[in-house]
Amino acid sequence: MNLPWFRRSGIFYIPTSIFGWSIFATGLVYAVYVFMDIDSRSHSVSDTLINFVFDLLIITAVYSLIAFLTCRKFKN
Amino acid sequence: MEMQKFEEKLIQMTKPDVPHLKHEDMLANAITKAKDKSIVSWWWLSIPLYIVAALSMKTIFMPRTTLLSNLHELTSNERYASVIFFFVLPILLIIINVKSLRNIYFLSGNPQMITFLKGTWYHILILILSALILIIYSL
Repeated sequence: MNLPWFRRSGIFYIPTSIFGWSIFATGLVYAVYVFMDIDSRSHSVSDTLINFVFDLLIITAVYSLIAFLTCRKFKN
Repeated sequence: MEMQKFEEKLIQMTKPDVPHLKHEDMLANAITKAKDKSIVSWWWLSIPLYIVAALSMKTIFMPRTTLLSNLHELTSNERYASVIFFFVLPILLIIINVKSLRNIYFLSGNPQMITFLKGTWYHILILILSALILIIYSL
């Protein structure tokens, strides 16, 4: 597993390897699943969005932490 | 004879040419790491800030409620999550960012305060907002 998996561009981390892309895809699929789950239980569009943004922030924060830890080659 | 040769050699000798200082590398590395850390910090800090913003909106639209009463309601409903997002997370962010700032400050070699503040304003903003969240939570 060769590092780096991500490169930073502004405030976002862009995947640069297959591992990076798989983490990104997992996060994206989970976000879509969370959105559909919240949407099935909520009563309005604003209700969906308010709850979804909170979960999306958590997903993005975890993704950015993983990307931060794997975005540079560690020197011996 | 040998002494003379040695003296000639000494005259020919110059200071070792070091075009690239290791200290510069260390400072550049510290700044890059601090920038990366600050971005991760912003993403994590956005969670409690979003909750505070949502509770503020709730306060505006629901009469006879305050931000603190809404926060206390949230704290009683989501005990562990509120401790993580309003206590553990801000303290962690403060420690990480103070450490980064300290590192940059010492590697810069006592820089001018204005220059230092210009270069690290986002760290200071993170510190202020983290402290604000801690204060709101402790009220």
